[in-house]
Amino acid sequence: MNIVVLVKQVPDTYSERKLADADHTLDRDSADAVLDEINERAVEEALQLQATHGGEVTVVCVGPDRATDAIRKALSMGADKAVHVSDAALHGSDAIATAKVLAKAVGTVEGVDLVLAGNEATDGRVGALPAMVAELLGLPALTHARKVEVDGSTVKVERETDEGVFFLEASLPAVISVNEKINEPRYPSFKGIMAAKKKPVSTLAIGDLGVDAGEVGLGGSWTQVTEAAPKPPRAAGQRVEDEGDGGVKVAEYLVGQKLI
Amino acid sequence: MTPEQTQFAAVLHKALTESTEWSTLDELGLHEVTEPPDLVVLFLELGRFAVPGPIIESFAVLPSLLSGFTGKGSLAWPPHLPHAQQADQLFVVQNGLLHHGVACSEMSSVDRSRHLVTVRAADVIGPADARAFDLGVLACSAELLGLGQALLARTVDYALHRKQFGQPIGRFQAVKHQLADTHVGLELALPLVRNAAIDPTPQQVSAAKIAANRSAYRAARVALQVHGAIGYTAEYALSRWLTRVRALITLWGTDSYHRSRVMEALCP
Repeated sequence: MNIVVLVKQVPDTYSERKLADADHTLDRDSADAVLDEINERAVEEALQLQATHGGEVTVVCVGPDRATDAIRKALSMGADKAVHVSDAALHGSDAIATAKVLAKAVGTVEGVDLVLAGNEATDGRVGALPAMVAELLGLPALTHARKVEVDGSTVKVERETDEGVFFLEASLPAVISVNEKINEPRYPSFKGIMAAKKKPVSTLAIGDLGVDAGEVGLGGSWTQVTEAAPKPPRAAGQRVEDEGDGGVKVAEYLVGQKLI
Repeated sequence: MTPEQTQFAAVLHKALTESTEWSTLDELGLHEVTEPPDLVVLFLELGRFAVPGPIIESFAVLPSLLSGFTGKGSLAWPPHLPHAQQADQLFVVQNGLLHHGVACSEMSSVDRSRHLVTVRAADVIGPADARAFDLGVLACSAELLGLGQALLARTVDYALHRKQFGQPIGRFQAVKHQLADTHVGLELALPLVRNAAIDPTPQQVSAAKIAANRSAYRAARVALQVHGAIGYTAEYALSRWLTRVRALITLWGTDSYHRSRVMEALCP
């Protein structure tokens, strides 16, 4: 079974994330970049499925040149090869534009049975991309999976959302996005890190995929960030000196806020 | 460092932050690390986290003595390593020969995370490669530096938080100087250890151990002084690093043994 995993490099959640002043896109230089944690779980799931069903695991990534670090991480966990789409024209692409590129990139991998992705990236948090890719590829979309089981040519998924758990079934090939309950990702072993160095990564520009530069980037995106403001700092709280009536004052405050 | 070594160090850092259990070490595939420069990267990180257990034996020495060795093993190599630590597999090197070992009685160590046992030699396995000893010395040197770096980082952090006479104690020149000297010592020892990894001859390895011993011991002394009374408290986490340094500086050859080896190489 050949599996494609869509991965994204994101700013580390521990670092301060900023938007560039000029075009409100992510200021990638301002923060440490890492492989998104949910993608580690997607890679882990692909590797577990590969262990049972065989086949190859291919990592597909759209991102600037430095995203190779995220790709290396996925390869060192055990994925077999990677496709990296890197093109200056992609700067500022929204979810739909990115999905178009990803769908074409998945098309360069032969005999794909399953496309795995994280349910949403920690930076943009759009969460629609896996469904968009599925739509463009004409494949069933099984999103927010907390459990994936492949049996012959069908796949069963437990889909968990705020509304409850859904039991889905689809025929392969299909697109699945996983949530954080799916598994615990493995650490890349030393051997895996050394082996990753020799694994093939094909770097493609959008021209190689037959994507028109007008369809992607800031100009080609259907959505745009028109304005952004940093989160205001937290206002200082109200300080009450306890002169024996602290409890009363707390109660008065809570009553004022209509909390009690 | 190569990009792979940098990535390996980052993976180790993340994994060891979460757990220093032996199962984590197994999961990380540390038995696959064989090249001396990679071992230095590994033991610097293991030292920073004061990882307990027979790590030098299991990941540096035994794989070099017995090809394909995996698991948790320890060995005694008298006189430089008189006792083994408790482990699943025990060995003894005596008169240049590697033997299986049998645990006799438990011993206590200044480092309470070292569960020592005296070992009796059983059947002979074969000749012991002297290079394995030097790998042990190298791994021990790197671990000492990692311990020293962690001790310094903790101590700097403490000196910036602990206030006395109306200011953080790190503002006082006498404290600053001690921390700076410790930093210089550790920085100067690191190239010797890295160099010994590239050229693991007895001379280079011994020079690295002497420098690592000195700088790590200074880091431990300064850490203890700057922390004051809390530094002496066994329950305070600092003690794990302090006592490990104390144990390691006399293991895998004392200072005088290594000085004599350097001397031998310089004036044959």
